[in-house]
Order: sequence, then C-alpha cells, then structure tokens
Amino acid sequence: MAEVKAVTPNNKEDMPEEIPGVMTTSSSAISDFLKKTKAQDLINWGRKNSLWFTVNAMGCCGVELLSTGMAHYDTDRFGIIPRNSPRHADVLIISGYVTKKYLPALQRIWDQMPAPKWVICFGDCAISGGPFYESYSTAQNIDEIFPVDVYVPGCPPRCEALIQAFVELQQKIAAKKDKGTEY
Amino acid sequence: MDAKTMIDSLSSQFTGTIYDVSVESDIRIIAKVKPENVKDICRYLKDKLSFGHLCCEFAVDYPNRNEIEVVYVIGSYDHPVVLTLKAILPRDNPEIESVVPVYWNANWYERETYELFGVKYLNHPDLRPLVLPREMLGEWPLRKDYKGFPNKTARNLV
Amino acid sequence: MDNTVGPSEMIVHLGPQHPMMPGPFRLNAKLRGETVVDSEVEMGYIHKGIEKILESKTYLQGITIVDRICYLAALTNEEAYVGCVEKLAGIEVPQRAQYIRVIMEELSRIQSHLLGMGEYASFVGFVSMFMYTIKEREDVMSIMDSVTGARVTHSFLRFGGVKDDLPEGLKEDVKHVFANLRKAIDSYEDMYSTDTIYKGRTVGIGVLQAEAAKDIGVSGPPLRATGVAFDIRKAEPYLVYKDLDFKVCTQTAGDVFARVQVRLDEMRESMYIIEQCLDQIPNGPLFPEGTAYGRRSPVMRVPAGEVFHRVEDPRGEMGFYMVSDGSDKPYRVKIRGPVYPTLQTLPPLLKGVNVADIVAIAGSMDTCTSEVDR
Repeated sequence: MAEVKAVTPNNKEDMPEEIPGVMTTSSSAISDFLKKTKAQDLINWGRKNSLWFTVNAMGCCGVELLSTGMAHYDTDRFGIIPRNSPRHADVLIISGYVTKKYLPALQRIWDQMPAPKWVICFGDCAISGGPFYESYSTAQNIDEIFPVDVYVPGCPPRCEALIQAFVELQQKIAAKKDKGTEY
Repeated sequence: MDAKTMIDSLSSQFTGTIYDVSVESDIRIIAKVKPENVKDICRYLKDKLSFGHLCCEFAVDYPNRNEIEVVYVIGSYDHPVVLTLKAILPRDNPEIESVVPVYWNANWYERETYELFGVKYLNHPDLRPLVLPREMLGEWPLRKDYKGFPNKTARNLV
Repeated sequence: MDNTVGPSEMIVHLGPQHPMMPGPFRLNAKLRGETVVDSEVEMGYIHKGIEKILESKTYLQGITIVDRICYLAALTNEEAYVGCVEKLAGIEVPQRAQYIRVIMEELSRIQSHLLGMGEYASFVGFVSMFMYTIKEREDVMSIMDSVTGARVTHSFLRFGGVKDDLPEGLKEDVKHVFANLRKAIDSYEDMYSTDTIYKGRTVGIGVLQAEAAKDIGVSGPPLRATGVAFDIRKAEPYLVYKDLDFKVCTQTAGDVFARVQVRLDEMRESMYIIEQCLDQIPNGPLFPEGTAYGRRSPVMRVPAGEVFHRVEDPRGEMGFYMVSDGSDKPYRVKIRGPVYPTLQTLPPLLKGVNVADIVAIAGSMDTCTSEVDR
C-alpha cells in the first residue's frame, strides 16, 4: 500500500507540534493518496452518474441543447440534468461560436463552476469555427482555452449525439482518462 | 394613393433635394436624397404620406467611387409601398444627420452602421458601439478594404 | 443609462449567460427597491459577421449561412434570401415548389411558436408547460426532418425551387400529428386562461399601445397583440399566400397575455394553411423547366441591381436588402430581423415594473438574439 506523505511547511514556525504516534497531513494529500487507490473508482462512479450541465445556449446548437434536456429526449433518466446556474453544474457545454465579446463571460462561467468539471464542445463552431471560421468577430482555437474532453461534430449535431457525448464522457471518467481531475 | 402620386407629392415638396427617382414597381420606389435634408424628408414621409415604419437603415461601401451610401428602407403599416432612400456621403469623412427624432428604432441601426462603417451620425442620442467590443471601434469591419477578413487565426484549418 | 447610483439604488446585470432565451444578451437594470428605474440592453455577444461572410460566398453557398441567422426560423430566412435572388434574376418558381415552401415555412412557424411559448411559460414559473410544448414540438420536428433531412438548419430552398419533393405518406403523418396538436393547443389555452397565478403574472403586464408599437417599428405577434392587423403575408403576398384562406390573428389588450394568445391562434391558422396546401398542391416539376436551376445549381451570376424582399417570420417582418454587382457573389446583403426593433422596446417597457416582471416582459417578445447580432 502506498504511503501517506506528510506535508512539510517551509517555515519552522508553521510546523505543527509533534505528537507521538500521530501523523499530521493535509486534505490534498489525502485526496492525492486516494487517487491511487480503489476508492477513486467509487468516487468516479458517483461523479459520472450525475453530470449536471449548464444551459448556456449560444447558437443554433443551443436549440438542440434545450430539447435534449426536455421531455422527449429526457436526459434526466441518466442523471444528466440541465441547470441554470453555473454554480450547480459539472459540465460546461460550449454550444456555438465563441465571439471575442463573449469569451470573457464564458471564462467567468467556467471559473464559477465548482471542480471537478468537464467541457464538451458541441457543434462545429466550437470545435473549429464551423461556417464562421473566417469571421472578424469570433475567437478561434477554443480547445487551447478550455480543457475539452469530448467533441461533438455536426452543424448542429442531433440530440442523440449529445447523449452519446455524455456516454463517452462517462466512459472517460470511469477509465480515469478525463481532464477534469489530475491523476 | 399609389407609388406614382406619392413620389410626385414628395418631389414637389422637396424640389432639388430628391433626384434619380425610379418607380420599380407598384410597391417599390428608389430615390436619392441630399444628405442634409434626410431628416426633413423623413419627417414629411411619416406625417403626410404615412410611411411610419422604418424597415432598416444601413450603409453600402463603394471604394471605387470613394463613396459611402446610407440607405433608408421605409415601409408603412397602411399601404404596401416601400421607399428606398439613398444619401451619398464622402468616404473620408462620412457624416449625416440622425433620424432618431423621427423614427425611434433608427437608434440601433445607426449605432451599428457607425461601428461597422464609421458613418458619424450628428445629434444621435447615444452613439456607442452596439455589437462589437469597444476595442474594435475604428476598424470599420464591413468596409470593403478591411484587412481582418478573412480571419486566418484558426489552427484547425486545412 | 446613467451609471451613477443614488441612495437605495442598485444596478443588476441580467446576463449575458442566462436561460431566458436561446442566445446571450445583457440587460442592465437600475433598481430602486424592487422597481426598475432605468435599463439598457447590451447586444453583440454572438455577433458573427454574417453580412460580411455573405459577401465572400457565392449565392448558393449563402443559403447555408442564412440558415444560421435565426435557428428557430431557418426556412423563413432562406425564403427571404432566395426570394431576393429570384427577384433579381427573374426566376419563376413552379407552383408545386411554392406550395412545398409554404408548407415547410408554416411548419417552422408552428415549431418556433411552440418553443417560444413553452419557454415563456417556464419564465413565469410553469416549467411543466415547457415539457408539454417540447413534446408536441418533437412531433412537428420529425415531420420537418422527414422532408428536409435536418432538424434545425435545413438548407432546403434552392433558387427556383426546393431541394426535395415531399415524401410519400406525409399527408397522413401531418393529419395524425395535427389531430394531437389541436388537442394540445386547446389544453394549453385552457391552462393559460384558467390558471390564476399565470393570469396574475401576465394580464395587464408590459402593455404596449398600438400607436407606440407602430412608432417603434415592432412587427409580428407583439404588434398584432395590440390590435394592428399587419402581416406581410397579407400586406405584400409572396409565394401562394394570396390563393390561401387564412386570417390575421389579433388581440387588443397589447399585454403579455395577449402576445401568447396571438401565438396560440397563429398555430391554429398555420395548421389550417398547411391542410389547405396539402389538399390543393398540384403535381409538377420542382424547378422551372428548360433552365439550369436544380438541386445543384451552377455558379450563377445575378444581374446587377438592388432589391428588398420581405417575408413574415414567426417573429415578424424579415427582410433582405441585396445589392448585386453582376458577379457570382452578392456585393452587400443587409438583414433586417424582426427582433431588432422589438428588443429596443425593452427599456421603455421596463420602466416602473417590478423585478419579477422583467423576465415576463422580455420573454414575451420571443426574442432570438442571434438574429439581432447576426
């Protein structure tokens, strides 16, 4: 079994008192340790089955995003629930062209989301610019800005494609290959 | 009242300021106006000829002729005639009187034309950029000689 | 809006990200207590420069781009664009193609109203209504899907005709779906007109008078809710609308409730139009005979000239102004969207209302920000 490493602070004054028989540690050390054990599999199983996403309709794909969360496709049955506030959400879906004016707002939404969090690029515009790749007002190369886990091509992709994207994200999380957590 | 009588009434009221009138069909008229009279003409159109609906207002850039055309497309809620008015401005310093006092919804059209073409509207209540970020003001992206289009920054391009 | 804040005043930013409508925009509201003192709308978060892009595309490529102006009304956008080119080039559309276009555009109106209305119900606290309307909308979408092969962006219209003929058995499908939809619309109307909470949140809220609406340049359902029977399908008939029997739905109150009611009535009228079309549709070619126009039309040069063509969008008057210089690409295209003037009415309409009514009023306009930004 791996060893729990105690964190040693730089300053002598910050050093906690030595208590015989007790090893001091920090919470990040514990979670780093857990990542190497079977317990992480259990945590990931929990995470992958409740992927809540932000409703952030930014373009044509936003319409399909709305329908995916609604009655007919009903992603609630997979634990994928649309949330209006980014603070409740785990998954940011970039659903359209990112313009130079909107990019700061999108980064702010990303910052507001609590970790662990994932990004899905939904539609051609978010992946490579789509039909607007040459426009003067869109920002390109979104994958350099956000750690994208799943790309969904299509203009716009159908609702089934988004469900498939979530399934792939679940598989990635289960296999510990996602970018939401550093293993 | 049909298109012919409307344009007759307009030209008799503003002799010399309206020229190149062409009646394309029963419901379409195109005319050119002197830029300094645009507001008065619009006021007359709205009050007397019931052209109460400004469909849109925009600009067209003609670098060869060194001109920018400001186009007003004015319709009506009462009759189907649509009148297209064109005011020709110099390309170096395009300035024209704002029609916001007459047509309230010209506000955004003029803000947009300002940021995309650099047409300066005099006496506009709030001439700020509408759709572009503030840093891009002064680039006039819809002019024909704009350098930033097509944008080649996309890495994934073949 | 003046950004100085007086005593007991604060500025609240709604947006740019919010679930209020498909597309980001920002509404800055200055509040005194719970009352809106002043507000301003900030646009441009999804401005993608469609007008500039269209100048660099050939006419045929342009159809794909105009689809994405407003993704809830892709077919009416195409109709306005294709209509411009047809007027300039003098192309006659065969009867059958015209009927197919009308059928598809009215279907697109139904799905847009279903989404807009359901979404609106969720703004005023009726999330389950959104579920109901989306369920019906999926049925309409599957009909559109069976004809065009796409759900949102269709690229279905071509110069002089349409891409494909109607599939076999469409009439039965439509009959089946419309029977359900009629029942559903009746039940929506029932729910809307009897629910006390809904009525309390909508009746008498955000009243727009007819004169003010005309002055502002509003068109579509918000204008018809004030009692002005202005509809491009009647005022300036295009396609075969002059041969069809339909009425312009109006209400007189001009408030939020009336706008939703107009949309409900319009869906019934659209269904009636589609049923007439399916009965009357003649057999014949999809493209003008003896010409090169077809599914893959050749590189076409459009004669120099200028044209303004307008159609009735689900949201109002959609117009294209096209300047052609005789080459294979348009020289300048101006898109006149119906929501553009409608969104401008928000600051005067919101003056003096409560915070909770901001969403009720802004949502009732059924705005599509993508079309304002372009």
